[in-house]
Amino acid sequence: MKIAAGVDVGSTQTKAVLLGTNGETAMLARALTDTGANVRAAAEAAFGELCRTAGIAHSDVAFIVGTGYGRYNISFGNAQMTEITCHARGAHFLCPGARTVIDMGGQDSKAISVGANGEVLDFVMNDKCAAGTGRFLANAAEVMGIGLDQVGPLSLKAAYPVKIATVCTVFVESDILSYLAQGRKPEDILGGVHLAIAKRTVSLARRVPIEPKIAMTGGVARNCGMVAALEKVLGASVHVSREAHFAGALGAALFALERTDESFESAVWRGEHAGRSRN
Amino acid sequence: MSVQATEYRGSIHQQQKELMLQWYAALDRAAGNAAEQPVVSMMVSGNCVELLEGFGAVPLYPEVNALQLAIRHQSLDPILLAEELGYAADNCAYVKADIGAYLKGITPAGGRLPKPTLVLCNFVGCNTYLKWFEHTADLTGAPLYVLDVPFLRSEEPGEADIAYVVRQLKEVVARLESLTGRKFDYDRFQQATAYSAESEGLWSGIKHLAQRSPSPFDAYFDAITLMGPLYVYRARSEGVQFFRDALRELEQKPVSAEDEKFRLVVEGPPPYPYFRAFRDMFARWKACAVASTYSTVGGLWEFGFRHDPEKPFESVARHMLAQNVTNRNYLQRYEQIGHYLRAWDADGLIIHFVKSCRLFSAGQGDMREYFSRMGVPTLYIESDLEDPRYFSEAQTRNRLDAFFESLEHMKRTGARRMPLAAPQPSPLRVL
Ligand code: SF4
Repeated sequence: MKIAAGVDVGSTQTKAVLLGTNGETAMLARALTDTGANVRAAAEAAFGELCRTAGIAHSDVAFIVGTGYGRYNISFGNAQMTEITCHARGAHFLCPGARTVIDMGGQDSKAISVGANGEVLDFVMNDKCAAGTGRFLANAAEVMGIGLDQVGPLSLKAAYPVKIATVCTVFVESDILSYLAQGRKPEDILGGVHLAIAKRTVSLARRVPIEPKIAMTGGVARNCGMVAALEKVLGASVHVSREAHFAGALGAALFALERTDESFESAVWRGEHAGRSRN
Repeated sequence: MSVQATEYRGSIHQQQKELMLQWYAALDRAAGNAAEQPVVSMMVSGNCVELLEGFGAVPLYPEVNALQLAIRHQSLDPILLAEELGYAADNCAYVKADIGAYLKGITPAGGRLPKPTLVLCNFVGCNTYLKWFEHTADLTGAPLYVLDVPFLRSEEPGEADIAYVVRQLKEVVARLESLTGRKFDYDRFQQATAYSAESEGLWSGIKHLAQRSPSPFDAYFDAITLMGPLYVYRARSEGVQFFRDALRELEQKPVSAEDEKFRLVVEGPPPYPYFRAFRDMFARWKACAVASTYSTVGGLWEFGFRHDPEKPFESVARHMLAQNVTNRNYLQRYEQIGHYLRAWDADGLIIHFVKSCRLFSAGQGDMREYFSRMGVPTLYIESDLEDPRYFSEAQTRNRLDAFFESLEHMKRTGARRMPLAAPQPSPLRVL
């Protein structure tokens, strides 16, 4: 069996995926850790965990692709690719036929137009502003004293979502405080916050043609409130795989796997290789 | 993928450096003896350096000074000073750097900059010029002449437009005669237009070298090196000699197919405070800009226009009215880019949005969409040409890397080649 890994060092979290192939591709292990200040250590920790979980030695991994902002700090990687290319690839693997990928991470969000084989046709990203990203949501959660894992479900209960006019991650705090002072319910405030982010993201995504299927990836994909808000603003359903959070690392691992075997690579790009995740 | 930064450094780079130092030395001498050396402050866009030759006057380009400061990482302090004085955060940072540097006494080459004999606002396209030159005139106490060049509203400038500009050029001549006490030397002016025509032909030849594959010339980064002499010296024999040497050197430059992986068209000026880092982001991928709109700010010579010694005033007017990218409208810019993509056989388009430059950056979102819809791989990135605070190296590099990854994939799989050969539909027609 050929084994390869992808390590996605994001601004907030580091994700890693181990893939093996014997004709059919399977996810052997995955790992998640906070990136923190030491990017290199986070990457090593995530990779170490992969090997432990799968019960293999580092040397069993034939190829490693690093992605994410910290990709150039991965000391053990064989190659680096951007998370844009990797997310497209990972999302296409998780959700075959996806033509648009909306990736929401800690510090940036992007929309990628994906070709029939998971290749990037076009992409847009937020620029120098964290509005529409996980950071915006985390700030709002913090001001309200609500755990980040609860904001999504709570936002779904909003009957009268408030209007959040600001797109600034810093100024949203004063907006929220003033709504709290007016006695608005936390779920309505959160409903408003989610919609504000969704609107911003969708207006960004409209710059690449939004075509179905739409898949969502990145850490924020775990937030059911955000998925619902996106669907509402888009007026279309959004596919979220259980592994959506790992799409970047998975894409990197798929590229790594290809590098181990050229015939495998060309089969993939001819569309002849149907992969499946174990989960 | 192995990536390696490459940069061509030939003898023309040394010549360019010497010419530009000579220019700064002339400006420094003028600062010491204004009567001996007239100096005219002027914009690069559609500049009329030929006219100055009739007085033996030296041009002073505030944009060139500003960008030199930025390349040398000296632009932020003057910008901050200008902001302290009340210039808004979204003012063009060229203006802020220039004004701030003047007040701080910073000059790009370390020498003195003279008080201009005349501040000549050759107002083409950008309305920031007006305010900028009013401020310069106010600060330096130099007289101001605003050349009102009508925006190009059709394919060609009308006779009335040309006559209107020629009349003003003659007023500028009269004004300079009284300011310098010198008689305008018409023969020298005519000779200057002849030299310009020659330089322009050679420059156009250089730009066309980029149609070769692989290209021996990067029409963005290398072009910028040649643009200083183009604006300062094209109307002089030194300029002709320089461009002759440059064309010869580039024609003979050995390039191998491995040196060029991607061919691009670039729209917008570069982020000068991070010029080298930005250039390396392209070089790592062996990406060559085969054409750029920025290199046509001063003039659109690769499309055939030349100054004309038979009609010197009219040709200067035509150049200002129609033969520089700044005085042309958006649809004409689309046509220009589309032509580059086809005739220079490019793989994609990179649009650099410059925060300072509202006038030329507004609408680039639509431009991106327009070319993407035509099937051209198009990347849109944002930063600034002068203010280092708006450049994020990691973000810019990430976008460029992703763009090149997707181009690489397309090349490898033969997935998509631009379906650009078809003639453009009617929206491009300019009324
Ligand atoms: S606004 Fe643009 S064109 Fe005008 S001076 Fe500034 S950079 Fe130049």
